[in-house]
Amino acid sequence: MKKKYSLSNILYKVFLWSYGLFSLYPLIWMLFYSFKNNDEIFISNPFGPPLIFHIENYVNAWTVYNVPRYFFNSLVVSVFTVIMTISVALIFSYATARMRWKFSGVARIYVSIGMFIPVQAILIPLAIIVRDLNLNNEYLSLILPYTAFNLAFSSMVFYGFLRSLPVELEEAACIDGASIYRTFFSIIIPTVKPAIATMIIFTFLQAWNEFPIALVLMTKENMKTLPLGLLFFQGRFTTDWGAMGATMVMASLPTVLLYTIFSNQVEKAMTISGAVKG
Amino acid sequence: MNRFFGNKKAIALFILPAMVLFTALVFYPVLQVLFRSFYDWDGLGKGIFIGVDNYIKIFDDTIFKTAVKNGLIFAAIITVYQIGIGSILAFAVSNVRIKGRNFFRIVYFLPVVLSVTVVCQLWLNVFNTEFGLLNKLMEVVGIDFRQSWLDDRYKAIYVLAFVNAWHYVGYQFALLLAGIKSIPSTYYEAAKIDGASSFLAHIKITIPMLSETYKFCLVMSITGGLNAFTQMYIMTGGGPGTSTYTLTFLMYRSAFQTYQYGYGMTAATILVIECLVATILINKLIARKHITY
Repeated sequence: MKKKYSLSNILYKVFLWSYGLFSLYPLIWMLFYSFKNNDEIFISNPFGPPLIFHIENYVNAWTVYNVPRYFFNSLVVSVFTVIMTISVALIFSYATARMRWKFSGVARIYVSIGMFIPVQAILIPLAIIVRDLNLNNEYLSLILPYTAFNLAFSSMVFYGFLRSLPVELEEAACIDGASIYRTFFSIIIPTVKPAIATMIIFTFLQAWNEFPIALVLMTKENMKTLPLGLLFFQGRFTTDWGAMGATMVMASLPTVLLYTIFSNQVEKAMTISGAVKG
Repeated sequence: MNRFFGNKKAIALFILPAMVLFTALVFYPVLQVLFRSFYDWDGLGKGIFIGVDNYIKIFDDTIFKTAVKNGLIFAAIITVYQIGIGSILAFAVSNVRIKGRNFFRIVYFLPVVLSVTVVCQLWLNVFNTEFGLLNKLMEVVGIDFRQSWLDDRYKAIYVLAFVNAWHYVGYQFALLLAGIKSIPSTYYEAAKIDGASSFLAHIKITIPMLSETYKFCLVMSITGGLNAFTQMYIMTGGGPGTSTYTLTFLMYRSAFQTYQYGYGMTAATILVIECLVATILINKLIARKHITY
């Protein structure tokens, strides 16, 4: 019996290490070549760490190519998407979870339909709406659809959270004569802070990495977000692998840092969907 | 209290932004997709109602057949890879005897937080025929297997599916790991007393207990596969030829490159139906079991 345990233990360990290597090495390889020149990448040292650190790859990527602009665009879009999504979803789920009115169930189910609609399917009408509203190449043209798409999911998370709170919370405030708005802002919001934190991370990651909607709606070079802007390296600069690697590393840095600092929070945020949908 | 919770003005104020945004940017577009799939439309003007002609045309389109087939291949590969490997990794990391579990957890999840562009371009570099990591490795090991991985019309779709599977396996892993942690350890202790190996314990306890989590993982990977687009767009452009087209890619090309908006919407409608059918089937096949502990 003892032996059986250790055998499965060894197998597990071998698997863990080999998959870990498989998962991590491509990223490390990218980090390595972002510091190399072409000679090292292609001929003398394709696998190992760089022998000479070519920091100029990063300088080039930052100054010659449009990377700071993409970075700024991504930041604006992601931050405003987070703010919009959290505030709109929070008040909506407060009205459906706590307040008493006839169609609250219908409204909640209506918005939750959003979880079953693939974003890709409505790219065409979305592009037409944005065109008709003259919002092409405006930050709003990404922020609004991102918010609309994240609503279903974040409302569900907030709904679950708000339902679990005791009614006494509002009762006390009501007796003290506080209005519903005051109660919402000074009592409810502080209570749901953990859920808000989780949803901030989730929404930020979604918005920062979103590709298809941005591809269709952001056509002007100066308005492109990072995932989109990085594409131009593929065609024109394929020979400059170092600068390309440097750009990719810089584009990944915010989310990787966010993840390594808040790894538990991020995993909770990403897996919360399992708990809600399943 | 009733006046407090029944404050009509507050309710209207609270639900309005969400209702307007959702209706205008998600619900209305879906209706548009269904409605316009019966039209011959170039994106401008009124368009001409042509009944089911688009549907007749699409079912005769060889690209459509390739696209549907590719969606299924893509879904199958990422499902097997992500749920299979994700499960084994989650079982292993949940094992308290393994050291450095936190490290592994982070390493497996890390690719998930990267942008899809970064991952696709990274793997383009790995698969690069001349300078790619893979062919260089083959060279070093001495295997004469050097080839252009993405230029083969039969292989390309598998390579693309693999890239997606590699990117998101950590997501399924984290979902399953969170599920395993919620199972009371007494179950495993009982299995241990009965002499079951830890792997057997997982087969007999974890998988049935996590049927809800698995259901969700399946929905995610299968609908994700049917929707596949970005890998094709970045890595092959649908090629070689039309061999890596998917429904979304077909839709994208029809609308934004050949301006057949109606036809694109037909592809989109079929995509929505496919995803709905898949979700309903999965929910039917894995019946909801109420497990209490």
